Amino acid sequence: MSEGWNPVGLRTLFLKEVRRFTKVWLQTVLSPLVTTSLYFLVFGVALGSRLREVDGVRYIEFVVPGLMMLAMINNAFLNTSSSLFQSKINGTIVDLLVSPLGAWEIVAAYTAAAMLRATVVGALVWCVAAAFAGPMMSSLGWTILFGAAVSACFAMLGLLAAIFATKFDHLAVFPNFVLTPLTFLGGVFYSVDMLPEPWQTLSRLNPILYLVNGLRHGLLGVSDVSPWWGALAMTALLSALAAVSVTVVARGTRLRD
Amino acid sequence: MTARALELRGVTKRFDGLTAVDHVDLDVGEGEIFALLGPNGAGKTTLIHCVTGLAVPTSGTLRVFGHDVVREFRTTRRLVGLVPQEIGFDPFFTPHESLMIQMGLMGVPPDARKADALLSTFALASHRDAPTRQLSGGMKRRLLVAKALVHDPKLLFLDEPTAGVDVELRKELWKEVRRLREQGTTIILTTHYLEEAEELADRIAIIHRGRLVVVEGRDELLARHDHARLEDIFVRLIRSAEAG
Repeated sequence: MSEGWNPVGLRTLFLKEVRRFTKVWLQTVLSPLVTTSLYFLVFGVALGSRLREVDGVRYIEFVVPGLMMLAMINNAFLNTSSSLFQSKINGTIVDLLVSPLGAWEIVAAYTAAAMLRATVVGALVWCVAAAFAGPMMSSLGWTILFGAAVSACFAMLGLLAAIFATKFDHLAVFPNFVLTPLTFLGGVFYSVDMLPEPWQTLSRLNPILYLVNGLRHGLLGVSDVSPWWGALAMTALLSALAAVSVTVVARGTRLRD
Repeated sequence: MTARALELRGVTKRFDGLTAVDHVDLDVGEGEIFALLGPNGAGKTTLIHCVTGLAVPTSGTLRVFGHDVVREFRTTRRLVGLVPQEIGFDPFFTPHESLMIQMGLMGVPPDARKADALLSTFALASHRDAPTRQLSGGMKRRLLVAKALVHDPKLLFLDEPTAGVDVELRKELWKEVRRLREQGTTIILTTHYLEEAEELADRIAIIHRGRLVVVEGRDELLARHDHARLEDIFVRLIRSAEAG
């Protein structure tokens, strides 16, 4: 019997994770859509009409990439973190740990399912944005690249959060105390050029800024920073997270006794 | 003894300051029903977890049908089935879906007919598409056994499969265990119902504080103790181990 790999297991775990979020689509797909629509109404329609153009585009258009990114980041993170943590709590993690799935297969299946959820939510947000501000797409390639890479990064962060969390409180630490502040300070609702020093320089240390601006470049063709810097930051982040996730799962840290 | 289904050499598992399994050497032959007995916290479950991949052994070698459980984990996990002590269930899926998913995870293409056959075997067919959370404790326990069998394991671990299970179901389960053994499956079980171990097992091991106190054929063990009840022999050996 060859060690090989487990393509059937990989596919099954991916499909299981997809079915898990589609079974509760009201919570996983529709709910973020409602939240984002409210953002559009408040920041785009109500306040946006009173604001001048930002970076040469209407404010309602300017906020679209950031809101898309916000929804995709949250959904990618939540999909992996809630699923893996629940399976630790309800004991079904045993089913996974006794299976002949390797660490990279487990990470790949969870990540791919979370990317799919983030992509579905991101696409729906784009449709809502198109209804409010008209369709926007400057570069499909950059849009797909940033959308996919950001989803993958935050799916793996969610996986790591679930692995290290020992109670539900721990799961909320990262989204509430790290992700949300970084996202709101990462140029979702404003251009960093509008900030005085030293906040402008400090903002450029925020990795979310590069991701939001990468997607903004893809959708609108405008950006506070070069998309190449974003691509570089993302490649580094993606590689580091993939290496850490696979190593942690392979070692069985907080998963196996 | 026939070919070795399980071969353990110097297996040790330490947790922070606690040695749960202490230099265990053990061979289990193919086709045996082997009872691993011991008081609570003796190391039975930890030892099983080391073989099945739920725990990482601190030292020692563990082989399943000649394959190393660490280096050849994919091969050994395809050969091993585990009915865990704790009842875990995924509320998102029905019993039928749970079996199909487990087949896939084990690397077997999901087969709806096989899942249905397992549900029938374990009297769960009437709850095929019911939410798993609606199953009774006994039904959930039976579903765990069915899940452990989806890939036709050659070595099956039953970790206290009858804990909290009524008499009728226990009898059904042991009937299934005998049927599996007739098909060639090697079975390693832990139980606190010693009369069941006495009736079922070909060989018996008693573990205490992580160390094996005795490993012997059931008939030999009983004969050596003047055919006393296994329960009495168990108490005597544990007391002797504590004294010595």
